[in-house]
Amino acid sequence: MLNTIMVIIGKVFALAIFAPLVSGIIRKTKNTIRMRNGPSVLQPYYNVRKLFLKDEVISKNASWIFYAAPVIVFAGSICALVLVLMARPGHLVSNSAAILIAAFFVLSLGRFFMALAGLDAGSSFGGMGSSREVFISSFAEPVAFIAIFVFCMGGGDNFRVSGVLAGFALFMVVIAETSRIPVDNQETHLELTMVHEAMVLEYSGRSLALIELASHIKQMVFFIMLSWCLFPAAGTAPWGWAVFSAEIGVIGIAMAFIEISVAKMRLFRTVDFLSFSFFIALAASIASSLGL
Amino acid sequence: MKEIHFIQNILASEKIDIVDLSRPFPDEARITVAGADFAKTCKLLHSCLSSPVMAFFAEDLRQRSGAFTLYCVFLSIQAQSWVFVRQDVAADTPEFASLAKDIHSASLFEREMREMFGVEPVGNPDPRSLRLHSEVWPAGRYPLRKDFTMPHKNMDEGVRYRFKRVEGEGIFEIPVGPVHAGIIGPGHFRFSAAGEPIINLELRLGWTHRGIEKLLEGKSSLDAVKISECISGDAAFGYSMAFCQTVEKAQGAYIPLRSQLIRVLCLELERLYNHINDMGGIALDVGFSFPAQFASLIKEAILRLNDAVCGSRYLKGVNTIGGTLIDIDMAKRALIHTALIKIKKDFRALEEMLFSSVSFMDRADATGILRAKTARDLGITGLAARASGIGLDMRKVFPGIYHSFSFKMAKEQAGDVTARLKVRCSEVIESLEIIKQCLEKLGTCSPQIKITIAKKSGTALGCVEAWRGPVLVWMRLDAAGYIERCKIVDPSFHNWEGLSYAVLGNIIPDFPLCNKSFDLSYPGNDL
Repeated sequence: MLNTIMVIIGKVFALAIFAPLVSGIIRKTKNTIRMRNGPSVLQPYYNVRKLFLKDEVISKNASWIFYAAPVIVFAGSICALVLVLMARPGHLVSNSAAILIAAFFVLSLGRFFMALAGLDAGSSFGGMGSSREVFISSFAEPVAFIAIFVFCMGGGDNFRVSGVLAGFALFMVVIAETSRIPVDNQETHLELTMVHEAMVLEYSGRSLALIELASHIKQMVFFIMLSWCLFPAAGTAPWGWAVFSAEIGVIGIAMAFIEISVAKMRLFRTVDFLSFSFFIALAASIASSLGL
Repeated sequence: MKEIHFIQNILASEKIDIVDLSRPFPDEARITVAGADFAKTCKLLHSCLSSPVMAFFAEDLRQRSGAFTLYCVFLSIQAQSWVFVRQDVAADTPEFASLAKDIHSASLFEREMREMFGVEPVGNPDPRSLRLHSEVWPAGRYPLRKDFTMPHKNMDEGVRYRFKRVEGEGIFEIPVGPVHAGIIGPGHFRFSAAGEPIINLELRLGWTHRGIEKLLEGKSSLDAVKISECISGDAAFGYSMAFCQTVEKAQGAYIPLRSQLIRVLCLELERLYNHINDMGGIALDVGFSFPAQFASLIKEAILRLNDAVCGSRYLKGVNTIGGTLIDIDMAKRALIHTALIKIKKDFRALEEMLFSSVSFMDRADATGILRAKTARDLGITGLAARASGIGLDMRKVFPGIYHSFSFKMAKEQAGDVTARLKVRCSEVIESLEIIKQCLEKLGTCSPQIKITIAKKSGTALGCVEAWRGPVLVWMRLDAAGYIERCKIVDPSFHNWEGLSYAVLGNIIPDFPLCNKSFDLSYPGNDL
């Protein structure tokens, strides 16, 4: 038991450390397709280091929520990572769906505080960002739940139609959750179009570093779940770590290609997008109940 | 001379006495009426020429005639002529009856005159300042008066700007700027929104006011050309061409054909790089980064071509009074010819990328609609007007050298972002065609000659269809060729207001897209 716990702690550390690298690879891929050099894949690490060394500017209107939110978000993402690693179906615990639901809720707790913090500083951008973020996530979360249920009911390790469908639904949710095109745009400088970025616009220095780290880790959490759904058999293969890294890489590069090939949707169109993913998730659950 | 009779008849039918009517140039008719008839005359011309107020400006002639002189300029497309209506305003009671309530497009000009000359438009509904922000600019100082002296700097005059307020449940304000996240000019935008849809947008500009019109006073016309290139950097050539043409017109100079052709070539090159840049900008603002990047490559190719041909990436230092400082020889013609083939191919690819992308067209279609009626009332000009169904292109109204080129005027009806994009696309294609024709003409044209122009006094209005729209320059030159008064009207001056109407009812995240589809100039507006 102790051994297993040590292994999980080790994995959490490793994954948290490599999480920014995944963002770096996605960015590098996008720039390569766009015929740009772009910064190195290590840039997210440099950013975090830079931000940790900087002072913070905090609005005089800010309350304790503003100070607490980055810590809660960061702790929440680490917590979610631990839970997800524990919940690998058929490995450690019998009731993995429950654990995964818990992981989602910890992430939601972070989002809840982030949305409050967006309102807290009293800037109109923060409020705008919070309202949009909550609007989008209220459509994204149910889909994620259904997809995960379907996957857990399937038991994990075998290739199933339902599992792949659930994977596709989850993929669309992940696009929304990691603020990528066509739902949000991480690269934009236009405050008026931002969703997640507008919410954290008031943050600087260490707090911002924590928030950025947290979003890298959150992305990792989602990518892990995606890799289970899309590559179910790979988890048991020899060279497990290499296979896992390759899976994450493939998912990241697929994300980069999607981001390059479409324009961002009009804000209210994201509902259509996520409704579509909801129907895929529903189809997955029907397939699952038919034993597919 | 048909034009004069036509106007005379109209005015006579309304029992307006014409004090003086002259036609110093084939494309200018100047009318003087009694002071009491001024507003009536303007309204009449506005409705029967169906022209907005193209320019409305004052001149401080107190030393000569003891009065401020006001000129209101309309455009008669049928007669291919500007129509000036002139009014004198006494120096001791500097006020006149505002036209703004009947002719909306006069409103901004009247506010401009109030703060620059202290000439009060009685009845103008908007008492706020335009460019001289009342927070820092002391009241009672009017820069364009001849006896103006620079006031001491004052950091706070205690007068606050009053924004229009929208009130009601759930309405909130979002102030943006004047400092923005991107590398763009400064402008303050204040949105009133209910949720995401925009209820009202107020623009406050003037942050880059440099006093260009004052700066130009007393400058030689050659210096003025250099200054004009800095009025709005992305239209440097359009401006310098407008300045040169105005001076040449006032002094009655004939410009060699070769120089005229080179000017056309450069003007179209400027149109090309700006239109392609905007197409990329529109794509970037909806997060469609691949075509955006591709467009910037095409733009860079054109800028390098500019550099190779003219020695300046942004076409500065090409124009001079009486011609151009560069010549385009056979080697340069070959260079342009090969570059254009590549540019055209790339442009077609870019067009294909944008128009075949469902996700992109979904953003552009029916976004930021500026209706034709609104555009007419506001006096919208140029590209934005052509996208809203107003067929006005100065290259067709006052062709000059353009009469020997065959090209079509771009026009769209929808008035949305897609329409403005389509106008850009067809203008790019037409520009490429014009440049091609221009190269052929340059091949057979007589070699470059240098001409000298006899300096003489005079006033003239010049106009160039720059890439955004018509740039109007009115000048009074003294006998030695120095500028006494210069009035500049940038197409952005009215089009900014068009933007604030086009975004109404759109959601806030679509604002940057609407804004980019107009792509207006801050410095051109602020002067």
